Amino acid sequence: MLRKFIFETVIFVLLLVVAFSLILFRADGYTDPFYVRFTTSKKSNLILGTSRAAQGIQPSILGKYLHKDFFNYSFTIGHSPYGPVYYNSIRKKLDFKKSEGIFILTVDPWSISSATNDPNDSSKFSENNLCVGNTYFVNCNPNYFYLINNFKGKYYKLLNNTERSSFLHEDGWLEINVKMDSVTVAERLEKKVAEYRKDKLPNSKFSSVRFEYLKKIIQLLNTRGKVYLVRLPVHSRMLEIERENMPKFDSIISTIIPMTSGYFDMTKLKNGFEFTDGNHLCKESGKLTSKLIADWISAFEKH
Amino acid sequence: MLFNSLGFGIFLSIVFLLYWLVTNKNLKAQNLLLLFSSYFFYACWDWRFLFLLIFSTGLDFYTGIKLDNSQNQGARKFWFWLSILVNLGFLLVFKYFNFFAESFGSLINTMGFNVNPWTLKVILPVGISFYTFHGLSYVIDIYKCRIKAERNFIDYSVFVSFFPLLVAGPIERATHLLPQIKKKRMFNYPYAVLGLKQILWGLFKKIVIADQCAEFSNLIFNNSDNYGGVTLILGAVFFAFQIYGDFSGYSDIAIGTAKLFGIDLLRNFSFPYFSRDIAEFWRRWHISLSSWFRDYLYIPLGGNKGGAIRKCFNTVIIFTVSGFWHGANWTFIFWGLLNAIYFIPLLLSGKNRCNIDIVAHGKFLPSVKELFQMIFTFSLTVLAWIFFRSNDIGQAKRFVIGIFSGIAKGSNYIETCHLLNSNVGYFIMLMMALFILIEWMGREGQFAIEYLFSNSSRPVRWVFYYLIAFVTILYSGSKQEFIYFQF
Repeated sequence: MLRKFIFETVIFVLLLVVAFSLILFRADGYTDPFYVRFTTSKKSNLILGTSRAAQGIQPSILGKYLHKDFFNYSFTIGHSPYGPVYYNSIRKKLDFKKSEGIFILTVDPWSISSATNDPNDSSKFSENNLCVGNTYFVNCNPNYFYLINNFKGKYYKLLNNTERSSFLHEDGWLEINVKMDSVTVAERLEKKVAEYRKDKLPNSKFSSVRFEYLKKIIQLLNTRGKVYLVRLPVHSRMLEIERENMPKFDSIISTIIPMTSGYFDMTKLKNGFEFTDGNHLCKESGKLTSKLIADWISAFEKH
Repeated sequence: MLFNSLGFGIFLSIVFLLYWLVTNKNLKAQNLLLLFSSYFFYACWDWRFLFLLIFSTGLDFYTGIKLDNSQNQGARKFWFWLSILVNLGFLLVFKYFNFFAESFGSLINTMGFNVNPWTLKVILPVGISFYTFHGLSYVIDIYKCRIKAERNFIDYSVFVSFFPLLVAGPIERATHLLPQIKKKRMFNYPYAVLGLKQILWGLFKKIVIADQCAEFSNLIFNNSDNYGGVTLILGAVFFAFQIYGDFSGYSDIAIGTAKLFGIDLLRNFSFPYFSRDIAEFWRRWHISLSSWFRDYLYIPLGGNKGGAIRKCFNTVIIFTVSGFWHGANWTFIFWGLLNAIYFIPLLLSGKNRCNIDIVAHGKFLPSVKELFQMIFTFSLTVLAWIFFRSNDIGQAKRFVIGIFSGIAKGSNYIETCHLLNSNVGYFIMLMMALFILIEWMGREGQFAIEYLFSNSSRPVRWVFYYLIAFVTILYSGSKQEFIYFQF
């Protein structure tokens, strides 16, 4: 009787597992802002950083001008500030079989800071329990491990996903489609500035551990190609907050520039970039930014 | 490790296979396996509190033997009170200390003194209220000479720590569970199938009903000052379904899991929302706790004996303590008191045991009278749940005033329709209606789907179970903790 019970239970569960797998199979770029990045093969040209890079740098534009297959492996300030978690995830995503890659690392004060009481206690870092930290397999499609551990919401949403304001492309670029009229943008800017002033500015402190990991990532990527540092443009009011937060950011970054092929500070450009909320470039400005980065790298590559 | 997680599914499968395929010939080995798996299960929550659990188990085991061995009444009293005080001391420190300190501080502050109460920065060990009550009932039963002390530490530890009931009950009695632990268990196919069915139904209740209702009840309770009366009623009804689906769902999974190991746990719920009066509701809601308080508090206080004042006093005590058991907050105490107020008129008029049988027994539909009785009783419980769910008495008060002051306004109905249309959606309303129907149809069983389709052919039954399982999977996703884990 025990064998019969086990047999019937296994059959029942197996059919359910098949049905469940079929539901998970429906996951795509609309599922959430991260999933697709864990479903591609290993990559040899990476864009790294936080949500600014995830939304602001378009791999297809870089590829068009630099003739390489770029992949945006940036997440958010919560998920992928520089640190041990991001370092380990990059190691898994990086194609070690190929060299002569191009790696664009975006930097800003927040990506080398921590809001924890002790900014150097990596066991308390915010990203430890998030998807970048707990997704062991980052190159399988469908990625059941990710969907079971990290999918937020109910699985029926995979069958009928009505959320269309963001789409994560196969190349890792997160496309955001929001209203860009001046009133809405101004409202979002005010909200974002208030949020950063209230939550981020008072708590965020420079983390030497994060900075050391930024160096480790550069060292790792240097073995597989050239590393370029980029500081993406932000709205002047956000830049003001960043300067208050880390007045010595430029001098801190200048210590690691010799380890890389170059540093491009785009906050000094006057190209009339537009932002969805002051923090993230809008689609069109992202295209322009990507082209400017591609031109800048081309100039280096020619030398 | 939540019952509704993949991790628990894997854990349960491994323990089940080891239990019946490896240790099945040796009762001692089976009990050892159950004990180690229970400790592993508990350690997955927080391994530090495992020491507290083992200490509490050891203390009650030792006290039980000492009580049994002592002929001297003084020595018996010493061991008895030692166990009671240590067990209640743990509860006081971990669960109630901050409440008493803050309440005392507030009282002193209202007298014009400025006091900053000293509080403890401790987290509540999961399941402490449940396993403490296991231990207390065991020691009280030995002291009252109802049972003999258990001499086998492993068996006693399994009684306290058996993983299905460890974190949120049912609160077992030594007289019921210990004999089962000491007896050789044989695999029983129909019983195990029944267990699986109960687990399936428990998961449906938790994931589809409770977690969905939680979304909307949280939305409404967290913004209760901004909503009109009709929406507030909707929020309270959602919470009523949430807490029922959550806790009875948990209990079904626990009882079903125990059945897989050949162990029968006490029933915890018996379709309480089909009760015709509050007395019946309390015979059907969290039965293991209600009967615990009846046997170890209400009856020792005198129970129904004595005059009207004595009866009222005992009723108020038992409901207040029951409320306080749920948490260190005035909202729970008020919830208990409100239920006492509901209960006392029935007690004094001798009508508290009018509705003992199952409502509309043997019929498909209830009579009009029964229907109205059920609706009235459900409304009373929903009103009481508002206090249970609110963050403080002030919010509960505003919530209740909001209901009664805004119910006549037409615009409130439009607001509720809009919320149902845009946020809630009709599928979940359909699921709730189906849930009520299935519970009603299955109210004569131990759980709703025990007998449902039991006479149908296997394909029909399997299609029904697959439908339940499939909807449950569709509605699973981000895991929500069970409400009663915090108690």
